Amino acid sequence: MEHLLETIGRNLFAIFGVMALGSAAFMVASRSAVHSVLGFLFTMLCIAGCFLSLEAEFIGMAQILVYAGGIVVLFLFVVMLVEMSKAKEKEVFQLQSRYAIVAVLTVAAAFVGLFRKVIFGSASPDALVLRPELARGLNVAQQNAQAVSRGLFADYLLPFEILSVVLLVALVGAVVLAKKERV
Amino acid sequence: MPIPTLTQSVVITLIQCLLVVIFVFVVVPLTVFAERKVLGHIQQRLGSTRVASGHIGVTGWMNRGMWKWGRIPILSYWRGIPGLVADVLKLILKEDIIPAKADKFVFFIAPAISMVSAVVVFAAISFVPGTFFTFPTWFPYLGGLPVSGGIADINVGLLWILGVASVGVYGIVLAGWASNSKYPLLGGLRSAAQMVSYEVPLAMSLLAPVVLTGSLNFGDMSARMATGLPAWGLAPQILGFLIYLTCGFAETNRLPFDMPEAENELVAGFHTEYSGMKFGFFYLAEYINMTVVSALAAGFFLGGPWLLPFGLQGLLNPYLPSLLSWFGQPHAIFFVAKIIFLLFTYIWVRGTIPRYRYDQVMSVAWKYLIPMALFNLLLAALVRCFAV
Repeated sequence: MEHLLETIGRNLFAIFGVMALGSAAFMVASRSAVHSVLGFLFTMLCIAGCFLSLEAEFIGMAQILVYAGGIVVLFLFVVMLVEMSKAKEKEVFQLQSRYAIVAVLTVAAAFVGLFRKVIFGSASPDALVLRPELARGLNVAQQNAQAVSRGLFADYLLPFEILSVVLLVALVGAVVLAKKERV
Repeated sequence: MPIPTLTQSVVITLIQCLLVVIFVFVVVPLTVFAERKVLGHIQQRLGSTRVASGHIGVTGWMNRGMWKWGRIPILSYWRGIPGLVADVLKLILKEDIIPAKADKFVFFIAPAISMVSAVVVFAAISFVPGTFFTFPTWFPYLGGLPVSGGIADINVGLLWILGVASVGVYGIVLAGWASNSKYPLLGGLRSAAQMVSYEVPLAMSLLAPVVLTGSLNFGDMSARMATGLPAWGLAPQILGFLIYLTCGFAETNRLPFDMPEAENELVAGFHTEYSGMKFGFFYLAEYINMTVVSALAAGFFLGGPWLLPFGLQGLLNPYLPSLLSWFGQPHAIFFVAKIIFLLFTYIWVRGTIPRYRYDQVMSVAWKYLIPMALFNLLLAALVRCFAV
């Protein structure tokens, strides 16, 4: 029993990873768009599980909160509201298949390169840090959330704020586009 | 203190889960029962306050004796129980109908999503700080091991609670879509919009405790909120509590905000096509969600397992005479009492306040609650900056 539990505990990442891959395959393969969204939701939850098994609890929870709780709800909303009839749906998806193959091959090549480097390359003894002199704050932190907030609000404040300005621009742009006819 | 092996800690966790499930399944039927009786008294609906199993049995005999004596019978508190029993039997025994044009898989999985996301939140809630109880040494296999007051008091507990609770939206939206019928779809869409908008002020009102305590761990936060705040901390706590409770009513689709199932517009909203135990799951999930919202309000704002709400415990503890020191200590019973009081508040509000119109629901969230929550956050930040 003890041995079994230990084995499960050691392989949690693999278990969640396989589940994520399985539900991602379900998402791609399923005919109905709402089923796809369900598969996507489950993939997101499994990825959060992967993060948790790597002791990255903050990013795992952020994964659930942002993706499962926010973004996938919007997907579901769109999929439910844009009710496409079967024939039309097929047409739209078949139009995209050529581009989809190119995109998939590109991404697959990138990932194969990444995996090759991660699995067969030599491991670095230290964590990868862009500016080592700023990493002190991260090493002092006792929790994930502290480390992330140190990184975002102390060491890399300017890039973070610039990102939020970019998001603001996108937000204003969306409002302008949506309200076009009323102006 | 002995260190548990992996198997032992898994067994202890399972026992904790069992305790939480027992707690939930004791509280939920009692809430349903209390709802019938309290609403019966508020709205003068006599059935649920009178129906009893006739005048037979010991209770009937005692009740008759009390009436003859000219007193209101003690056991009349339990009148209405037959109605509750009949309701539960109806849920279990009724035929489970799946509409012919429904999407079977989604129709089947939607109640499960609702239910699971409601129950799983309890994992991060700690009922009492430290050890809840210790197994006596004669206990087989687990003798002498402590059982902590929460299943998993993780240090991102608040994020876990918010994240998992937000997954509950899917249950309602998917139920509305899968039924393949007008009213459920409208109910599901309304509820998605409502729950997504009310999540914003809800999370913001919970950010005030995060700012005040500097932690994301449920146990830490409730301890610091109850005992570790200066007198200035009262203002953001009280305002935050009111905002949180309002948003909590909307998140659980309870009466002033029960858009998803407004029965005079949408028949029964998203669960119109559901019957039998599938409907029962939605019903259970609603009440479990109410318990969760009450538990969070009690834990963050009403002092959790400490007696006094709004951080008054920390202010008054030095003046508490040593005779009353029992009241200065945390006890799970205080926490449960607060949860029960808040559940009563839910019923009370349901009996008193009429339903909002749909556009009013949205304007309350975006025009009033979010600015108030932001103001509250500012107050909390000022307290944190100058007083802590």
